[in-house]
Amino acid sequence: MTAPTVAAPRLLPWLLRVHRPALYVWTGLLVLLGGTLLWLWGPLTDAAAEAWRQYNACATGGVCRYDQDAILRYKDVYLYASFAVLAVPFLVAAWAGGALTGRELEHGTAQLAWSQGISPARWLTAKLAVPAALVGAGTGLLVLLHHLTWSAGRSRVDNTKSWFSTETFYANGPLVVALALAGLAAGALAGLLLRRSLAALGAAAVAVAALWTALRFALPHLWPTATGVSGLDGGPGYPGLLVDQGLVTATGAHIDNPGCGSTATAECRELFDRLDAVGYYTDYHPASHYWPLQLTATGAVLAAAALMTLIAFRLLRRRTADKGAAR
Amino acid sequence: MTTPLTGPPRAVLRLHRTALIVWGLFVTGTIAGLVWLNTVTADSARAKSARCDPLAYCADPFANTSYSAPISWISTFICYGFLAVAAWAGAALIGRELEQGTARLAWTQGVSPARWLAAKLAVPALVLTVGGIMLVVAFRWGWAANRDLMGDDWAFADVFVARGPATVAYALCALAVGTLTALLLRRALPALAVSLGAMWTLNFFLERYRESFWPTVTRTSPPEFEASRSWWPLENGAIIDGRRTQDVPYWECDGTSAENERCLDDLGITGHYTTYHPQSHYWPLHLVETGIVLTVAAVATLIAFRLLRRRTTAPAVRKGASV
Repeated sequence: MTAPTVAAPRLLPWLLRVHRPALYVWTGLLVLLGGTLLWLWGPLTDAAAEAWRQYNACATGGVCRYDQDAILRYKDVYLYASFAVLAVPFLVAAWAGGALTGRELEHGTAQLAWSQGISPARWLTAKLAVPAALVGAGTGLLVLLHHLTWSAGRSRVDNTKSWFSTETFYANGPLVVALALAGLAAGALAGLLLRRSLAALGAAAVAVAALWTALRFALPHLWPTATGVSGLDGGPGYPGLLVDQGLVTATGAHIDNPGCGSTATAECRELFDRLDAVGYYTDYHPASHYWPLQLTATGAVLAAAALMTLIAFRLLRRRTADKGAAR
Repeated sequence: MTTPLTGPPRAVLRLHRTALIVWGLFVTGTIAGLVWLNTVTADSARAKSARCDPLAYCADPFANTSYSAPISWISTFICYGFLAVAAWAGAALIGRELEQGTARLAWTQGVSPARWLAAKLAVPALVLTVGGIMLVVAFRWGWAANRDLMGDDWAFADVFVARGPATVAYALCALAVGTLTALLLRRALPALAVSLGAMWTLNFFLERYRESFWPTVTRTSPPEFEASRSWWPLENGAIIDGRRTQDVPYWECDGTSAENERCLDDLGITGHYTTYHPQSHYWPLHLVETGIVLTVAAVATLIAFRLLRRRTTAPAVRKGASV
């Protein structure tokens, strides 16, 4: 038990030293993106809110002078910032695959570390724990800023994205943090599996893309939907995250929407009569489902991350144990 | 022609056979997808739409998207495929060899650095050119075959590139830029990131200023006129007191058409204009962009060779001096 305690203080500084460039890039990214979000939260939201106030004060028919540029700038910067937040899981996965484990195994520096009194399990624990803390804290900060920025605009800027708009839904909550951690686990696992830096980089990025695609399909079904029924004359409602929509008949059956249009035209009225339709049904998630959806999805992604971490540890143990036995 | 490939070119092919397989799968898969979409999917989508008289209840009012969505994805992948080439060239082709010292090993085995780099560039360039031409030819056919099912046009950023030699030019440029960044940084992962970023930036600016690579056409006429759907519209507005302006206070005019006309006359509107690129400008615009990209590729290649020569001759001189 003495050897590990002697080695213990050296592990963390060594890890931070090896990955110093990544630490700089991550800090730079946080400063840049965090700064952009603060800029958006303060001056840009204020300017856009003022422009919307001018616009809404315009009398209809008269000349309307309002600061259209402020509104467009707000929208552009918001979208760029959201996409940048959503790119974080991919960057983390690519880095973890390329630089965290794959490169060390390819170059043999991992084996060197294991021979210096650092057990493989402790090596991997440190390799995962320190980046996980930094990635979790950093991404969490970005998500918090994004959410605060979005909330600040919601009541004042009329073109603020809705809560269920894809980029806003993901970038606004802990789901991105979970995806970034899953990216880290995927990268570490890919590096251990493939033992090659560039192959692991590609595989980890693809794994995050696959996880995200699966999430896109599964997410609306992670929580029971609410169903709204609206009359034929008013047209179908769109009150939140849409899951399914169609016609409801007199017997209460749900059938597909023929896409005819409004009942204002005689032909469509006739068609609806023939189908025995009495209204539209909409299966959707109202705003109150935001947190249940976010948290269930976050839980699912964290479970995937935990599973990948577990596989990584088992793989490492089996491989290093084999080697010991062979020796 | 029957002599088997030997020396450095053979080594390049062997070393990067995974990349070669991925590229081959991408090219053949995309072409097969285009054929399938234009023979099977297009007919079934059109049949579904035909049956889909909205007045007679149809289950799938958006049948066209089963054809148009994959075609759009294919145009995106063909156009932006050069980003993958940039990442690969920076990291796997050159960066890794310099980082691990295998390049130096090759140079001691009778392969001069210049020949080593020439093989490293020529073999992928040939493979990319052949595959790229196949992709462009297939896409030109596949994109044009069922225009009635599509909603895009020739001026869409990815369609613009994917329908001509710029696709190949971007791939070759990515190869050259990846090589240069790798020679500069001598490390695989940083080279990957920088080369990807550089190519993305180049494409971003070319895409942004694409419209100015050939003189635009401006059409003016007293009455308002409708833009043709084949145009790439850039700007339109009214002519007030002989000056073109996009800032026309139309909302000041309201009422019957006679009143409206009088009101517009009072504003001083003497005509309307539209600035655009007609479809016939596609090739001039496309070829100018291709030329710019190829120039960047040539310059990057030239710098790469000079850099390599300077770097590989300098130590020898120093060694000679110290003896």
